[in-house]
Amino acid sequence: MTNRILDADVGIVGAGPGGLAAATLLAREGLSVVVLDEGQRPGGQIFRQLPDGAHGHAAIAEPPSHRHGHRLLDAFQHAKVALQSGATVWDARPGRLWFEQGDASWLLRCRHIVLAPGAYDRCIPFPGWTLPGVMTAGALQVMVRGFGVVPGKRALVVGSGPLLLPTVTALLSAGVRVVAALEASSRWAALRALPAVLGNGARCRETFWYTRKLLAAGVRLRWGWTVFGCEGDGRVQRAVIGKVDRTGRPRRETAQAIEVDVVGAGFGLVPSIELGLQLGCDSHFVAARGGHCLRVDREQRTSVARVFAAGEICGIGGAEVAIAEGELAAAAVLSERKGLTVEPRLANKAVAERRAADAMLRAFAPLPGLHELAQPDTVICRCEDVTLQRARDAAALHGPSSRAIKLGCRAGMGPCQARICGPSLQALACQAPAMTMDKPVVQVPLKPVSTQTILEAPLG
Amino acid sequence: MNGRIGATGERAVVEFTFAGRSVQGRAGDTIAMALFAAGEQVLRHSSRDGAPRGVLCNMGICYECLVLVEGRTVRACTTLVRDGMRVERGGRP
Repeated sequence: MTNRILDADVGIVGAGPGGLAAATLLAREGLSVVVLDEGQRPGGQIFRQLPDGAHGHAAIAEPPSHRHGHRLLDAFQHAKVALQSGATVWDARPGRLWFEQGDASWLLRCRHIVLAPGAYDRCIPFPGWTLPGVMTAGALQVMVRGFGVVPGKRALVVGSGPLLLPTVTALLSAGVRVVAALEASSRWAALRALPAVLGNGARCRETFWYTRKLLAAGVRLRWGWTVFGCEGDGRVQRAVIGKVDRTGRPRRETAQAIEVDVVGAGFGLVPSIELGLQLGCDSHFVAARGGHCLRVDREQRTSVARVFAAGEICGIGGAEVAIAEGELAAAAVLSERKGLTVEPRLANKAVAERRAADAMLRAFAPLPGLHELAQPDTVICRCEDVTLQRARDAAALHGPSSRAIKLGCRAGMGPCQARICGPSLQALACQAPAMTMDKPVVQVPLKPVSTQTILEAPLG
Repeated sequence: MNGRIGATGERAVVEFTFAGRSVQGRAGDTIAMALFAAGEQVLRHSSRDGAPRGVLCNMGICYECLVLVEGRTVRACTTLVRDGMRVERGGRP
């Protein structure tokens, strides 16, 4: 173990589109920038790249928007930015970010902080979702686009929202047969999303690209369908699928079984806001943007001085939003550091991208009826093996708050710190008619790190 | 064996063991992805039910893929394979 301290003008968390855009702009203006990223390579989840020295990139189909990713990464690599990969940030206060990297405990001291930690998949429990081979949609994309590994032979893709399409095309690139691709929202969602798609040239091209890929492979997206459960001996071998009503409630009479060996489930994304909460930033609940997200002003300032936020942490919006907000945050930091004015062009672009993303995501609003997929004996907190029945008992006995349920049955107390079960825990345990959840309670360490890291954390 | 897409596996071979069995990964693989390519999907058994568990999020969020590497509990999806690494199935998170 070694203690180390880094100093920089600006510390950025996350090397996805938002973090890359902000870092590049800040470094160009001569500020010293350190980017802390948990991944092994820059790009974040959306612009995943194969490991260094890998061949065969051409085998993996990329949608048109990924050209932005290459441009962003090129510019980032030419800018003078210190990237710390494999860095897990576990504590923060304004001007200070503590992180673990391998065996070492580090502190980054910086005057300004830009938070761009991204998002993760929203999980909705269903019977059999703990079986090996049942993964998030994001996991399958990482497997294919980040490592070139074949996920299986026969795949089921389920969930809701625009991210189902790249999951299907990733599987097709890997030569996997996509047996079924099920979108839980009704066809009305597609109609509602249509103006948002048609009103934006890039989104239009993107949707066309995906549609063509699916058609060529003979994969039909089924609207108003989802998975009722998965079965198998030690790993997933079968799935039961069926129709859902407009609220997502399963129509059991339509159930049918299919044989699959891999399942990707993606019911939208949840903003990763823990770091912002630890820093004391104000947040608000916006259902269509994935739940609790940080509040920012017109120039990406959070409620805490010298802490900025960009991209998914301000609400799910996608890569274009993250890039625009990352650039805007950088411009705002520069205005504070060097007195440069923030170009209205940057602020207008961020607003326009956000508006377009909101319109798209509103069409795929989370469906509360999907919480009826879990059965009383379905494990809903995977870390602590807590079943739905136990969570319901805890809510009945101790009250409907996430804290009461947690203390009553341990749901959310494991190492994922409720990132997986938290977003649906209250709706499930209280049989609430909507997708509600209390503001997450964060505690240090923000992610499990070794005791050594905490004991040897540099002070100052 | 799940295998690799096209030529993406044409990288230096990294030999390690999982639950005593010898596995060939590739340079730049995480433990989880090297094992998945080799057909090993069960990375641990859950703490109370003993049910098999494998990769869920593949991006360091869920802690479902915990394994033991020389006595240390690590996430298989964020830890890169090294030559001679000895990996065991993880237990309670």
